[in-house]
Formats: sequence, C-alpha cells, structure tokens
Amino acid sequence: MPVPAYSFLMLSGVLFTMGAIGFLLRRNPLVVFMCIELMLNAVNLAFAAMSRYLNSLDGVVFAFLVITVAAAEVVVGIAIIVQVYRAGRQMDVDELDLMKE
Amino acid sequence: MDALGPLVLLAPLVGFLLLALFGRLLPRPLVGWIGAGAVGLAFVFALAILSQVLGGQTLDQTYFTWWQSGDFFVPFNLYLDPLSTLMILVITGIGFMILVYSIGYMGSDPGFARFFAYMDLFVLSMLLLVMSGNLVWLIIGWAGVGLSSYLLIGFWYERTSAVLAARKAFVMNTIGDVGMVFAAFMIFLNLHVLDYRGLFSRVHLLPKGGTVITVICLLLLVGAVAKSAQLPLHTWLPDAMEGPTPVSALIHAATMVTAGVYLVARMHLLYDWAPAAATTVAVVGGVTAFFAATIGTSQVDIKRILAYSTMSQIGYMFLAVGIGAYAAGMFHFMTHAFFKALLFMAAGNVIHAFHDDQDIRHMGNLRAGLPITFWTFLIGTLSISGFPLFAGFFSKDEIIRAALSAAGSEFWLGILALITAGLTAFYMFRLFLTAFGWEWLAHDERHLHEALPVQTIPVIILAAGAVVAGYIPVAKFLSPVFGHAAEVGAAAFWGLAALSVLVGLIGFFFAYLLYARRPELAVAWRTRIAPLHALVEHKYYIDELYDRVFVRPGFALARFLNDVIETRVIDGAVNGLADFVMVEAREFRLIQTGRVRNYGLVMLGGALGVVLIVAAFLGYLPFRLGG
Amino acid sequence: MVAGFAILAVWEFLTALGVVAFRRPIYNAMSLVANMLGLAVLFLLLNAQFLFAAQIIVYAGAVMVLFVFIIALLNPGPELTLERRGTEWIYAAVFGVIFAVLLGALLFNRSLTGRPGKLTPEAINAVGNVQSTGAALYTSFLLPVEVTSVLLLVAAVGAVYLAMRRIR
Repeated sequence: MPVPAYSFLMLSGVLFTMGAIGFLLRRNPLVVFMCIELMLNAVNLAFAAMSRYLNSLDGVVFAFLVITVAAAEVVVGIAIIVQVYRAGRQMDVDELDLMKE
Repeated sequence: MDALGPLVLLAPLVGFLLLALFGRLLPRPLVGWIGAGAVGLAFVFALAILSQVLGGQTLDQTYFTWWQSGDFFVPFNLYLDPLSTLMILVITGIGFMILVYSIGYMGSDPGFARFFAYMDLFVLSMLLLVMSGNLVWLIIGWAGVGLSSYLLIGFWYERTSAVLAARKAFVMNTIGDVGMVFAAFMIFLNLHVLDYRGLFSRVHLLPKGGTVITVICLLLLVGAVAKSAQLPLHTWLPDAMEGPTPVSALIHAATMVTAGVYLVARMHLLYDWAPAAATTVAVVGGVTAFFAATIGTSQVDIKRILAYSTMSQIGYMFLAVGIGAYAAGMFHFMTHAFFKALLFMAAGNVIHAFHDDQDIRHMGNLRAGLPITFWTFLIGTLSISGFPLFAGFFSKDEIIRAALSAAGSEFWLGILALITAGLTAFYMFRLFLTAFGWEWLAHDERHLHEALPVQTIPVIILAAGAVVAGYIPVAKFLSPVFGHAAEVGAAAFWGLAALSVLVGLIGFFFAYLLYARRPELAVAWRTRIAPLHALVEHKYYIDELYDRVFVRPGFALARFLNDVIETRVIDGAVNGLADFVMVEAREFRLIQTGRVRNYGLVMLGGALGVVLIVAAFLGYLPFRLGG
Repeated sequence: MVAGFAILAVWEFLTALGVVAFRRPIYNAMSLVANMLGLAVLFLLLNAQFLFAAQIIVYAGAVMVLFVFIIALLNPGPELTLERRGTEWIYAAVFGVIFAVLLGALLFNRSLTGRPGKLTPEAINAVGNVQSTGAALYTSFLLPVEVTSVLLLVAAVGAVYLAMRRIR
C-alpha cells in the first residue's frame, strides 16, 4: 500500500511548525539559523512529495534551488555571525539591538 | 615550408618576450643584438621561404583551430604566396638594417631595452598581418601594429607632444580598425567565410559592382586609408615624427604605413569585383600624392618633410593598386622602402650631429662634416626624385605609365601623378640643398661628428639597395598573384621616361634656382603668393578644421554632459531618491524595536496571513473570499 | 513502505525537537544532522534520488560541517535559560497551534487538486532520475539555475568581504 501524499505534507507541516517555534524561542543566533534550515527542509519535503504525486519534476527542481539558496544563505549568515561575535562576543540575538532608535 | 612560416613569426616573438621580461637585467650590447638578431633570424627564414616560392610553391597551411562555433570557424593559417613573401622580405630585411642602426642611434637612451622590445613586437605584428591566411588574424596583426606604433610614437613619454601625437595616431588608426572590423562582419554575413582561399573562391557569388561588394571594399579602404595616412585620415603621420627616428624609418615610412597598399593588393579580387571602390582608391591615392607633395614644399622640419613625402609616395601606391596595376604598386612599395628608410636614417644622423635640432634652416654644407651621410642622402634624393636608372625611376614610371594608358578619369590622375613627380624633385632638392648644401667647408667651426659605423653601414647597404632595387623583376615575381602585366612598347617606355625625367629636371631646376643659386628670389616669390604659401604651410588648415568640427564640439558635448546632465539630472535623481528614503526612514524607524525575534514574529504572522487569504480564496475555510 | 514512513516520521519529529530544545549548540547541530539524514531517506521514498544525493552532500555535508566548525571556533556556552522574557512562549504557542490547525484543516478536509504530469516514477526511472532532473534543470529551468549561480557567486564574494573586514 503506498503512503498517501497527505502524510508527507502533514510531516512537512509539523517540521515547519517546529522550526518556526524554535526560531521564535531560541536566542543563540546559530540555533536560530538551524531552525531556519529546518523550515527550509520541511518545505523541500513538501516540494518533493508534490512532485512525486503530480508526476512532474518541477518540485524536485525547486527543492534543488532551495538547497542552493540555503547554502548561499548559510555562508553569508555565518560570516555575519562570526563578525558579530568577534566584535562583541555576543551570542544572544536579543542583545543585538543597535538598530533600535 | 610548413615549418618556415611559424619560424618567421617565432623569431621576433622570442626576441620580444626576452627583452620585455628580462631586458632590464641584460647588458646593453646583448639587448641590442637580441633585438636586431631576432629580426635578422626572421630574415634568414624569409630567404628560405623565398627560395621555395621561387620554385613555384605557395603555402596555405592551417596550424590549429582557434574558434569553432557553428559555422563560424577561425583557423590559424598562414598564406604564403609571392605577395606576402615580398612583404616579409622587406619587413625583415629592412627591419634588420634599421634595428642594427638603432643600436647606435638609441645607444645612450635609458629606455634601450624597452625600445627593442617594442620594435620586435612591431615586427611580429607586421609579419602576422602579412602572413595571416584569414581576416581575423589580419585584423589582429593590424591592431598589433597600431599598438606598437602608438607605443613607439609615445616612446619618449615625458614629452607632452609625443604623448599627444601617439594618442592622435591611435585614435585615427582606430577609426580605420572599425572600418576593417565592419568589413569582416559584412564578408562573413554575406559569404560565410573568413579565410582568404574561401573568400577568393566565393567573391563571384556576389553581384559584380553591387552594393554589398562595394560597401565591403569601401570599408576596407577606410582601414587602409587610416593606416596608410591617406586623405582624409592623414593628419597623424606628420605628428608621429615625435617618435625616435628609427621608428619613423621602419614603421612610418618603410612598412606599417604601406599596410593599406598590401591590403588592397591582397584583396585585389574583391576590388576587381567592385570597380567603383577601386576608382575611389585611385582617386584617394592620386589626390593624396599631389596634396602631400605641395605641403612638403613648405615645411622646415627635416622629418616632417620626409613624412609628407612618405604620404605622397604611398599615394602613388594607392593610385597604382586603384587602377589595377597591383604589381606596379608593390614594386614601388619595395623601392620606396629602400630609399625612404635610407633617407630617414641619414636624417637621423644629421639630427644627432645637430643635437636634436630638426630645422633644416639651421643646417647646411655638410659635405665635409658628414661625408657618408651626405652622399647616401644624395642617393636617396636622386632615387625618390626618379633620376634615371635609380630605383625610384623604374617604379614610379611604371605607375604613371599605367595611369596614363588608362581611359577616363584615371588618365587625369596620371597627369596629376606626373605633376607630383616634378613637385617631388622640387621639395626633395629643396630639402637637400638647404640641409646639406654643396659648399665644401675646409674649416668647419661646428665640429660635426659622423655617426658610428653601426649606423653608417646599414645606411650604405640601403643606399646600394636604393640604386639597384629597380632592376629586381618584381612584376614577374608577382605574376602568379596578379597575372601578367601588359607588355609595354619600347617607344612608349622611353617616351614616358623622357617625359618624367624632364618633369623631374624642371623640379630640380626650380629648387636649385630658389634655394642654392638665388635665395633672395625665394623670399620675393613667397611674398608674392603669400596667401597660397600660408595655406600650404599650414597644411591646408586640416588640423584646425578637424579641431573645429570634431574635437571642440566633442569637448563641448562632454562638458555639457558632465556639468549639466551628470550633476543635475543623474546626480539629482540619485540624490533625490536617497534624500526621499532618508526622510521617510526617519519616520518609519520609530516603529522598530531593534529585536530580531520581534521581526521574526511579525514575519511569521505575515506568512500566516498569506496562507489564510489563499485558503479563503480556494474555499478551504468556512468563509469564502472572492468569487 | 508505510511502516518505513512511520518510523522515519517519528525520527524526524524527535530530531526536530532536538534541534529546538537542546541547550548546547553542538547537540542542536547533531540533531539537525540526524534530521537531514532522515529527510534524505524520505526523498528516496519519494523516488527523488537526485535530491537524496544533493541533500546529503550539500546539507549534511557542507552546511552542517560549517555549522559544527563555527561552533567549535566560537565555543558558545549553553543558554542559561530557554526563556528570560515571558512573552515569546505565548506567541510561539499561539502560532504553533494556529499553524497546526490550519495545516490539518487544509490537508484532511479537501482533496488535493492539480493536473498530474507525464513523468511517472516509471517514466523517470526508465531514463534515470539524475538524467531527467538534469535535463529539466538545464532546459526549462535554465534561467533560474543561472540566476542561482549568480546568487552563489555574490554570496561567496559577500562572505569573503565580511570575513575580511573587522567591525569596530
């Protein structure tokens, strides 16, 4: 018996929600980043599932592009984190409020 | 033969690389002999090619594929036939003489190694230009000689005038390069070939005398005119005399400036197919020959007189190739290379003796002080003036004869060329009698020193060439390329010879009268025709005309763009936008908390909102939006 | 098939919880690695072998190595408390519930719509998954691929610039 598409989408939704909650709760910028990755992965899962059940490769291609964009994002994000850390040894996103009026 | 072609190119390439990379580390004598030796070696290879070409061989060898994209195919192939062999021999042979001469002439210059590196680069580019078997490499060589010409005119870059002259030459040449490139585009678009063999075999597919072939030939002519300093792109050549004298001898007299003649001769099948364009070539050449000769009569700078003389002689060559007398044009190219290189090098010796003074009015009576230079310059003068049995006599007569025997407008160009021959004798003897004189000064107070043997020996060799080059059967050698020239009857030959000698003698007579016998007459005549003299002396005000028409409006436009468009419109828009953002940002900033997680929260809320709206539209919720 | 999916779903849930809940960043990272490996296997279940490979190479390989490396370099301590100010818990809970309810409602109440294409798993496997993905990437999706490559270049340049400069 094949796994219904709904189950993949449900799992994707659950993972996305967990990532979002982690994103809201955690203060370590590295962990915040990991939660974003988790959300992106959840989206990829949804893409791949729809691609499979709609008999098309478009979803796979988009998932691949998401992976690429995520890699680019991590590179820049981590460079920023390292710079912030070097500047003030700050590992709490709540302390980074220089932009505040 | 396959290997000889690349070897000819390799010799100057190695010389250039050695000198460019290690020139400053090597001892001076070695630098000079590497620079000259590389070209000498190329000359030896060229002689080997000559022996095989004389045996009836030609070469069209593809060595590698440079580009291949669809049907756009650019090979690196060399095309060696009698025409390119003649060019190679002149370039390397005369180039070797001039480079040996430079060892002495440039001996005390701090940029010694740089000079020889540039010269080898020039020889390499020029060889590439004449040996290439396709239009792309032709254009690469074409641009390469333009570049090395630019570098060498501006060789003394601490002189403002040299830098300006170099820039002027480069801009003028670039106009020509654009013409060349467009011609290549049109050829590829219409015939889908870029190599000569394919091009020559497909030319007849175009309608004869049609617009396409005529436009192609005229575009090629733009390139030829710019490179060869013909009207109306001639103004750079006199200024190019700012470069060292060996440069003027090699690039701006013997070889590079004749590239335009080579181009038309190489593309002669195209010009045969476009009679209107060929006539244009002839008219440009004939008019330039006369025009430049008139300016030459009024100048006082020894190198500038020679520069105008070069323009005038190249005008002869253009006239020849324009009326289809290709062999005659190439013959004159060869003899001209001998006597003009000789004249420049001898002039260089004089300039050195007078400590870089180039005004002929400050010279005079050099027979005792500079005997070798004196006699060799005299030989060059006789040759260029068409004195019987000297080289210039044969080649120039052949051109004039070809023009006079043609019907229609070419006949009048022949008459013009004949008049120009008289003018040539006049201005060359004016130069000779003023700068060298005839008086023997037993007690010369000026303590002039004859140049070093390394300078005088090449000059003597070229002087020998300027006497005997006329006996080389160039037309027969080139007959595989251009076909056999029409036989000339003895009566016509000697009749014209007598006529041109007579014209030359008239020119000589006036020069002798005005500049040796009765100088006061020259002053009197000059005042009588003052407006005309001023016109000629100022080179028909063409520099001034170009300045008014092109340069100043260009500067004005640039200033307008910079002062008005740039500052008001562009900067105004950019700064205005920035100011707007600043003002708005100052207001919106107040709603920011500065805390990353707050932003994340709002973002998620927004995403949720989007999902809700989409869901509502699609009917997944208890209530519906839209239809 | 179903049993496999069930095990993987539980695995995914637990590791995702680990990413969110552990206090030491290195544990978070390790959980994320485990999560991504599980996801890669899910891709296999979905007949997306190419994504499987890309997921392992790019995410589990490159990205996570970077994370772990940075954690080792900066050596941040654990967060002392997960919560210092009270409000985020409430927001997170509210959002989580709404999201979950919404997604559940969407998934269970209505059938999915969409026009199925021709590339059934059998058709794809006849050519080869990587070949057909590659063909799609370099034909119909060429522009996005090119734009992405520019993005990667910009990201690389930006990272170099950021790493070079010291913020004072």
